[in-house]
Amino acid sequence: MQVLLDNYVAVLLAGVIGFILVGSALIGSRLLAPYSSSRQKETSYECGMVPAAAPIRSQIHIRYYLFAILFLIFDVEAVFLFPWAVTFLSVGKAAFYEMVLFIAVLGGGLAYAWKKGVLQWK
Amino acid sequence: MSNELNLDYTLLTPEFCLAGLAAIVLGIDLFAPQVRKEWLPYITAAGLIGILGLSLGWVEKESDFAGIIAVDNYTTFFRVFFLATAAVVVLMSAQFVRDRLKNPGEYYALLVVSTIGAIYMAASRELLTAYISLEVLSFSLYVLVSFARMDPRSNEGGLKYMLLGAFASALLLYGLSFIYGSAGSTFYSDIAAAYAGGTESFDLALLMGLVLLLAGLGFKVAAVPFHMWTPDAYEGAPLPITAYLSATSKIAGFALLLRLFSSAFMPVIDDWQWMFAALAALTMVLGNLVALQQSNIKRLLAYSSIGQVGYMLMAIAALSSGTASALLLHMSGYVVTNLAAFSCIIAWYNLTDKEEIADMRGMAERAPLLAAALTAALFSLSGMPLFAGFFTKFILFQAVADEGFLWLAVIAVVMSFVSLYYYLMVIKELYISKPEEEGRLQVPLSVTGLTAALAAGVFYVGIFPRHLFEVAQEATNLLFV
Repeated sequence: MQVLLDNYVAVLLAGVIGFILVGSALIGSRLLAPYSSSRQKETSYECGMVPAAAPIRSQIHIRYYLFAILFLIFDVEAVFLFPWAVTFLSVGKAAFYEMVLFIAVLGGGLAYAWKKGVLQWK
Repeated sequence: MSNELNLDYTLLTPEFCLAGLAAIVLGIDLFAPQVRKEWLPYITAAGLIGILGLSLGWVEKESDFAGIIAVDNYTTFFRVFFLATAAVVVLMSAQFVRDRLKNPGEYYALLVVSTIGAIYMAASRELLTAYISLEVLSFSLYVLVSFARMDPRSNEGGLKYMLLGAFASALLLYGLSFIYGSAGSTFYSDIAAAYAGGTESFDLALLMGLVLLLAGLGFKVAAVPFHMWTPDAYEGAPLPITAYLSATSKIAGFALLLRLFSSAFMPVIDDWQWMFAALAALTMVLGNLVALQQSNIKRLLAYSSIGQVGYMLMAIAALSSGTASALLLHMSGYVVTNLAAFSCIIAWYNLTDKEEIADMRGMAERAPLLAAALTAALFSLSGMPLFAGFFTKFILFQAVADEGFLWLAVIAVVMSFVSLYYYLMVIKELYISKPEEEGRLQVPLSVTGLTAALAAGVFYVGIFPRHLFEVAQEATNLLFV
C-alpha cells in the first residue's frame, strides 16, 4: 500500500504547486494592477462584436444529437489513432491491419447511418 | 504464462460467426425491406442454432487464446447456454417486434451482439477482457431496454439502467485497479499466484478492491442493495427483452463471478466469503418479501428474479466444486423456467395488451395451454417437486449446507415457502377468478409450440436432472484443479 501511495506524491505536488501558481497570479494582478470599471468593460467579450441579443440561452435542435454521436465516434477514433501511430513501427504489420479493420467497422457504421437516412434533415 | 502467445483465431470461430450473423441481419434489414419483418427472427434463430452446433465442436477440448480467453468445457457450456437462450428469445420476439417495435434489424442484431459479450464474460481469464465483454453485453442491453422509443416507461427504464450501469462500471474499474495494484497482473492465474504468497503488505488495497468489485458486479446481477434499477428496467423494457435481462444478463454475471473467484481469489477466500454470504442473505429476504406486494407481472418477476439471485449468490459464498456444479444446474433450470413463464406472458400480452396480474384472471378459460404452462413455470420457480425448480434448488441448498453454510440454506428454504405465496396468487387469478370477457383466444401455432417445448423442458430438468447435472460437473471440474 505504501508503495502505491508513494507513486502519487508527484501528482500531489503538481496539484498543490499548480494551485499556488494560478492563485498567486490572480491575487497578484488584483493587488498590483490599476483597477477601474465602466459599463462597456463589464460586457462580455465576443470577438469585438456587440454581444448577441437577449435571451442569451439559445436552444439547439434535438435532431443534432445524431450528428453529435456520429462526430463523437470519429473523435474517439482519433484517440486510438494517435497512440497507434506512435507504436506503429515496433508492432509491425498486424497493427496496420488491425487499424484498417477498426476504421472499416466505423466506416460501416457511418454508411449504415447514412443509408438509414440519419444525415437527412427531415 | 509462457512468452509464446497462442494466437489461434480458429478458437474464436463461433463468435466471429455471431458477428457475421449480426452484420447479415443488419444487411437484410437495410437492403431487403419487403421481407425483413417476417423473416428476420427466423433467419436469426436459425443462425444462432447453427452456431450452437458449431460450438459443440469444442467439447472436451482445452485451449486458450493468448492467455486471455479460455476455450474449455466451461466456455462451451456457456456458449451453448447463451446461444440457446438467445435463439428462444428471438423466437419469442417474432410477433411482439412485428406488431409493436420499429427497426427489427437493429433489435435482432443487438441481441446477437450481446450474446458475444455474454460468452466472453464466461470465457475470459483476464480482468480487462472480462470488463470489455461485460460492457459489450451491457451496451447492447441499454439500447434494447429503451427500444420502445415512443413509450415513456421504456425510456425511463433504459435511462435508469444506463446511469446505474455506468456507475457500476466505474466502481468495478476502480476495484480492478486495486486488484491490479496489489497483485501486479490482470491474469486470473497470476493474481492467484500473487495472493498465494501472502497478502499482509497490501491487505487494505485487496479489501478495497474486493468490495468495489463486488459492488460493481452486484449491480450487474441485481443483488440487494444494488438492485434498485431492476424493477424499473424490467417493467419498462419490451417484454422479450425483460425475459432476456432475467436470463442472459444475470447468468453471464454469474459465469464471470464463478470463473473469477474460483481461479483468481481462492487463496484469499476468507476475505470475501462473508461478503457474499451477507449479500446472499439480504438478497433472498428482500427480493422475496418485496415481491409479495407487486401487482404488475413484470415487477413481480423482477423481484422474484432478485430472490433467485440470492440463491445463486449462496453458491459463490460457499464456493467449492460441489456448489459450482449445483449453481450451473440451478441456473439452467431457472432460465428454462423463466423463459417458459415469459413466453406465456408475451403471448397473453400480444393477445390482450395487458400485463397486470389482476388482468390475467380467467386465463385458464380463455387460453388453457398458456395458463397451464405458466402455472408449471411458477410452481417450478417456487420449487415444487416434479418441476425443474425443486431438484435444482434441492441440490444447490444441499451443496451449500455441506460447505458449512447451513444458516444460509435455512433462510433459502424459508424464503422459497414465502415465494410460493405470491406465485400462488397469480395462479389463483389464472384458474379461480372469472374472466373479463368470454371466448377462447386464438393462440398462434408457433407460440403454442415454443411454450409447450419450454414447459416440457421444465419437466425434463425436474424429472431427469442427472443428465444436466453431469454436464454441469464436467463444465466446472476444471475450475477447481
